Amino acid sequence: MNHKNMKQKLEFVIKDKTIVSIVSIIFFIVTGYIVFNYMTPEWKMYQNEFQSVVEEKLGVDRAATVRGGLQQVYVKDLGVTDRCITCHMGMEWKGMENTENPYRSHPKEILVKHPISKFGCTPCHGGQGYATEMQSAHGFAPFWEEPLLGKELAEFYVVSNKKAMMQMNCNTCHRYQKETNGMDVINNAKQIINNKGCRACHIVNGRGGTVGPDLTYEGEKSAEQFNYERIKGFASMFTWHVTHFKNPKELVPETVMPSFGFSSSDAQSLALLVMSWKKAKLPIEYIPGNNFRDIPSSEESEKEERMKNGPGAFFVQRRCFVCHSVSSLGVEAAAQIGPDLALAVEDVQSRFGRTLDDFLMKPTGTMDVVLSTMIPLTKEERLEAIGKLRQAYELKKKERQSVVKNK
Amino acid sequence: MQFAEQAKKIYNKLVWTWNPGSEKESGDAIVKNILLHWFPNKISKGSLSWNYSFYLGTVSFVLFSILTVTGMILMFLYVPSVERAYSSVKDIEFVVAFGWLLRSVHRISAHLMVAVVFLHMVRVFLTGAYKNGTSVGSNRPVNWIVGIVLLLSTLLLSFTGYLLPWDQLAYWAITVGTNIASSAPVVGEKIRFFLLGGNTINQNALIRFYVLHVFFLPVLVLFLFLYHMWRIRKDGGLAIADHESLNQKPEKALPVKSKTYSLLGITNGTSVHVQTTMVNEEENTVSSVPHLIRRLWLVTLATTAATILLAILFTAPLEEAANPSVTPNPAKAPWYFLWLQEIVTDTTLKLGFITINGAFIGGIVLPTLLIALAVWWPYRDPSGTGSAGVWFSSERKKQNYAFIGICVVIIIFTVIGTFLRGPYWNFYWPWESWPTMPVKF
Repeated sequence: MNHKNMKQKLEFVIKDKTIVSIVSIIFFIVTGYIVFNYMTPEWKMYQNEFQSVVEEKLGVDRAATVRGGLQQVYVKDLGVTDRCITCHMGMEWKGMENTENPYRSHPKEILVKHPISKFGCTPCHGGQGYATEMQSAHGFAPFWEEPLLGKELAEFYVVSNKKAMMQMNCNTCHRYQKETNGMDVINNAKQIINNKGCRACHIVNGRGGTVGPDLTYEGEKSAEQFNYERIKGFASMFTWHVTHFKNPKELVPETVMPSFGFSSSDAQSLALLVMSWKKAKLPIEYIPGNNFRDIPSSEESEKEERMKNGPGAFFVQRRCFVCHSVSSLGVEAAAQIGPDLALAVEDVQSRFGRTLDDFLMKPTGTMDVVLSTMIPLTKEERLEAIGKLRQAYELKKKERQSVVKNK
Repeated sequence: MQFAEQAKKIYNKLVWTWNPGSEKESGDAIVKNILLHWFPNKISKGSLSWNYSFYLGTVSFVLFSILTVTGMILMFLYVPSVERAYSSVKDIEFVVAFGWLLRSVHRISAHLMVAVVFLHMVRVFLTGAYKNGTSVGSNRPVNWIVGIVLLLSTLLLSFTGYLLPWDQLAYWAITVGTNIASSAPVVGEKIRFFLLGGNTINQNALIRFYVLHVFFLPVLVLFLFLYHMWRIRKDGGLAIADHESLNQKPEKALPVKSKTYSLLGITNGTSVHVQTTMVNEEENTVSSVPHLIRRLWLVTLATTAATILLAILFTAPLEEAANPSVTPNPAKAPWYFLWLQEIVTDTTLKLGFITINGAFIGGIVLPTLLIALAVWWPYRDPSGTGSAGVWFSSERKKQNYAFIGICVVIIIFTVIGTFLRGPYWNFYWPWESWPTMPVKF
């Protein structure tokens, strides 16, 4: 090996060795960064602070009993693993009621029937139980669909009741109860469902009409299944439902669902209610009263029975009563959209300038659409309807006369 | 003393199944050993240079090793069941020490490996390295074909791994991928059924993909890799070594100056000649130890560092849990198949009464043709031995342009499919924003 050769070789060797050193240093720095990150997770900061808060409030002895490291609640029955208590450490501590979050203890009363060990956190509060960082744990992270149903969300959607959102999750178990303590928002929505007669068109919990879609598992739908073209602003399933409840035609122009003129808060309650209607796989002991059915109250069933078998049965069976009352025959409209049919004989004459017989055989306008698509009637049925409507009109006239006489 | 001898005897009995009868036999045993013959004793400076090979093959193997190590640890943590897969990946992300890093490194290395193996193939083609040079007894086309099988195995490895997290990304990428497979005529549906172990992507598909991903495919790649490396030696080293020898005056080397000099010390008889053309040894070669070893170590270190750095910068996403009733919009195959998905859309045409089945053309005909062409080409390549082991040899101008053309088309279509196709597979320029997808809240 001559001298020149030696030198040449050395040159590339020095270069190689330099690169090895540089890469090694990079490697070292990267490793250092990773280890540092591992040693200082976000939750450790919260745990240290919790310890000092306990020390300040309850003394050194109690502070020494604070457990460190990742903490989790595992509820086998619900398939829930919640690591929230890693930071929210004061959940079941006495004396931490007036501390700031995340150290504050959980309100006591609700935990009596809903112990953390049996329910975890996310089944009620939403959020991502797996996560160990605040942003992802609170569910405000990409690819997580269940955000924390708390104040932030309520503020975002301008819901006045800051605890409203969470009631959606309460209703997973409490859906078959007519009224539940502490669930005022959902209770309100349930009442609206009954008062407005939503069941005239929709099946809810297995009962109701088939004019509109079955809503029993409306909450199972995913956000992608709705059309947001007409939504102004933030496209979310919740916004869709709220807007739709306020004015259905705004989102679905061809819909026959009437606008009920709900207030914002009513529409929000209803949105939360329908979104709570999921196919939940729950162990039976989680269902209040072990009741898996929506049983109509005696009042409701009595009214239903009366309408179905009374003199106005024809209008109930043909689902005219969805929009129209026939007051003199005891038929009460579910959604008061159309005029009272008891007065149809004179009403049609004054509105359309045609006789009732003529109009029902060849209807125009909305009734044309309804009778040709949703309620197809044979000629015989139309004749029967005309007969019944005349009968109703006679009764109505008598009613009026008796009212006049009584006066 | 006696105890030590006794111990050695027992040791020999335990580790040697065969006692060589002569020194030649024992020498042969070493010469024939595949593991000891990946690397030559001496290596030409050209073979060692950065800008000939870019060490892309080495990088591929380093990535494979990283994948093996991280994958083995992940196997302890991941549960291949439809019910548990997603949550076990969530646990890896959030509670396993360095779990996020393991998964992220595993994912990045997998993506890089697909890219690097592809680039390695491009390098081999453009340098004409699949051609037999001047060295005797080389059969480089075979190694090129092994390389193609390795590329396909790499794609399959990545594809099977794609399903495992059981999130929306996984589920729908596999849906798109296997639907393309089902467009093959006659046997298409059967192929899909065979791949998935059923008609839908469910537990059967998951366990199939899992077993392929963690055992059969890696083992296949490992054996093919061993053979690939060994063949390089048997074919006379890198093709550039052949090229170098052309430009050198052949010198008659004394038989003693064999590369396997160290072996001569223990063997009698003819020296062992590995088929490498090496002339002007002193000037143009260096010892593999330490120079090649140092280079390999450097490449290993740099690849590992780069992978970890990228893994920190681009952490592995985990989408919503797989939901067969909700199709994400757009639903895309893994990125390395997106050029095919793009071609599938572009060739789905209706001409009067005739409907051209794009999935069949883009998904079956085209890839099959390309693979067949690649396998056949080394035997068809008309250029002389002088163009083996040179970048952009003037003799191979036309075929290099054609090859680059094909690669550019594949890359352009991949980029379009990956970055420019939005919801409903609509085209969006990079400066156009995609419509936001709805969320629950």
